[in-house]
Amino acid sequence: MDDLFAPSDVSWTPVSPKLAAVRRVTAAIVFGLMTIVGLVSFGLMMGWLYGVLWLVVMGIGFAWTWVLIGRNQRSWKYAEREDELLVSHGIMFRQLVVVPYGRMQFVDVAAGPLERAFGIATVELHTATPATDAKIPGLHPDEASRLRDRLSALGQAQAWGL
Amino acid sequence: MSEPTAPPPEKTVERNGDRLHPLTPFVRGWGYFVVAAIAMANNESLRSNLELAGIGLVAVLIGGIALGALSWWFTKWQLTDDAIRLDSGFLFRRTRIIRFDRIQAIDVAQPFVARLFNMAELRMDVAGGSRSDGRLSYFSYEDAAKLRGTLLVRAKGEHAAEQAQTPQVESPPLLVVPTGRLLGATLLSSTVLGSLAGLIWLIVATTVLEFHVGLFAGAPLLLGVVQPIWKQVVGNHKFTLSETHDGLRTKRGLFDLQRQTVPPGRVQGLLITEPLVWRLLGWSRVDLDIAGVVGGGNGDGEEDRDGAQLLPVGERQEVAGVLARVLPGLDLSSIEMHRAPERAKWLRPIGWRYLSYGADDQFLVTTRGWVSRRTSIVLHHKTQSVRLQQGPLQRRLRLANVHVDTPTGPTDAVALHRDIHDAARLLEAQADRAREARRTASSPVPVHTQPNPPSPEGSSSSAASPAADSSDT
Repeated sequence: MDDLFAPSDVSWTPVSPKLAAVRRVTAAIVFGLMTIVGLVSFGLMMGWLYGVLWLVVMGIGFAWTWVLIGRNQRSWKYAEREDELLVSHGIMFRQLVVVPYGRMQFVDVAAGPLERAFGIATVELHTATPATDAKIPGLHPDEASRLRDRLSALGQAQAWGL
Repeated sequence: MSEPTAPPPEKTVERNGDRLHPLTPFVRGWGYFVVAAIAMANNESLRSNLELAGIGLVAVLIGGIALGALSWWFTKWQLTDDAIRLDSGFLFRRTRIIRFDRIQAIDVAQPFVARLFNMAELRMDVAGGSRSDGRLSYFSYEDAAKLRGTLLVRAKGEHAAEQAQTPQVESPPLLVVPTGRLLGATLLSSTVLGSLAGLIWLIVATTVLEFHVGLFAGAPLLLGVVQPIWKQVVGNHKFTLSETHDGLRTKRGLFDLQRQTVPPGRVQGLLITEPLVWRLLGWSRVDLDIAGVVGGGNGDGEEDRDGAQLLPVGERQEVAGVLARVLPGLDLSSIEMHRAPERAKWLRPIGWRYLSYGADDQFLVTTRGWVSRRTSIVLHHKTQSVRLQQGPLQRRLRLANVHVDTPTGPTDAVALHRDIHDAARLLEAQADRAREARRTASSPVPVHTQPNPPSPEGSSSSAASPAADSSDT
């Protein structure tokens, strides 16, 4: 089953587990805020029993999100074939993108404050269509810039007009 | 552009820093004047005091004229060796340089007011740019046509000087869509029929059954009936397709005359739409993806999706003729179509019968849709990326989607709900085919719009073709 979205004839590179860490921190912030707001408002309006119930619901939700984030992080992988970049991700909704290097219009390397703190970056390959969804999150900054340079070099070498 | 520009083309249009047509501010701002006048006329307090109203109106007029004149004075355009340069703005100076080799298509448009004054606007489609990026307005119609000819020659790399002099010779139209058929086709399209049915049900429900759904629901339905009719009949009035040196040319519009050129080799994909009732009559619509022509221009209300419309409604043989011109070598009947497996009916109870794809060595064809059947055709060497997708339900049924992405446009080639092995095969095969097509098509204009130009002067076309071949390397 898995070989459908990750053909074994190329070597796949996983992304850094720090991606999961960043996402878990983000989730923790969101869940934390929601818990506090819910706890206070339920507690004040309907009684503290409901507040505690809310706390439990949020706890379960967070635990589930924690697991999902881990699984999702492990599903991200990419491969550099001779002429194409392959990006595969997703557990529930899976996707495998095949982008020829020659089709590349430009490459973005982005890192938010949280991502920077954890030392990861996102590389995104843009073609002439926004439908191409070739984004690789959770790369080590060195790997990200290596990939950027390699992709732009290959894109130059194999460039193909519209 | 690798080859040097050997003979400098004619110098007639090439002056340094030309201004636009002096009436430009008036044509641009006519709405402003009209609104000002109406506002004046409708204002009660002003109507009682006509003198004040007159002074106000004059002040607004003078202000408008002054602003327009300033903007006109500071707007200059010029042609340089490899680009067109546009300077504008008197407070915030702005210079825009559009390189000739980046221009994908050039149109001459005549909005209603401009047409009254025999003026025209030049619209250049630039890859990756928004619609308004390459506008130059206004010229007198003759100047616009001449400039368009010059620019096209430069953009395509043809330096055949004689062609620039005959850019606006109206070649005999290949086909004209009759207004009656246009109206009939619009009335029978799925949107209008659906809205009409909803409207009738609403009227019956409120009057006969005393079931007051609320007439608010009627407004969007009414809009769904009136808007497409208006848009089709006014926007596509006398839709004419003709063949020129620069590719196929479309002309349409009742008030706003729109011209658009489909340059050879710029076609990225093609979409044939056949709504339910049209299929019985053998009608279909053809839309194109052209590089640089953004289909969903939202800055420009008048044309949302039909930025690259090739045929609003055509009969079977007309469609076949148009297809043969735009995509020579395409033979839909010879491409073997693979249907989706029967278990796709869990996801598409009726439509699964119509899901299919097929490919030959040049094109990938996908069909889908029951109410409105959509056939997408993609050229292998224009493929941007290939995507394999699968949702949770599809995983249970061992199905997957394969998307073949083309640049922005109406074409949406997707092989829906394939068996997973079939999908994996298609993904690999399509990636291979795209790679192969990119390699083999070493001279990157493998597709010409015109296999044999029917133009009267045969010498110019033969002189033009080698230059065209080496154009967009």
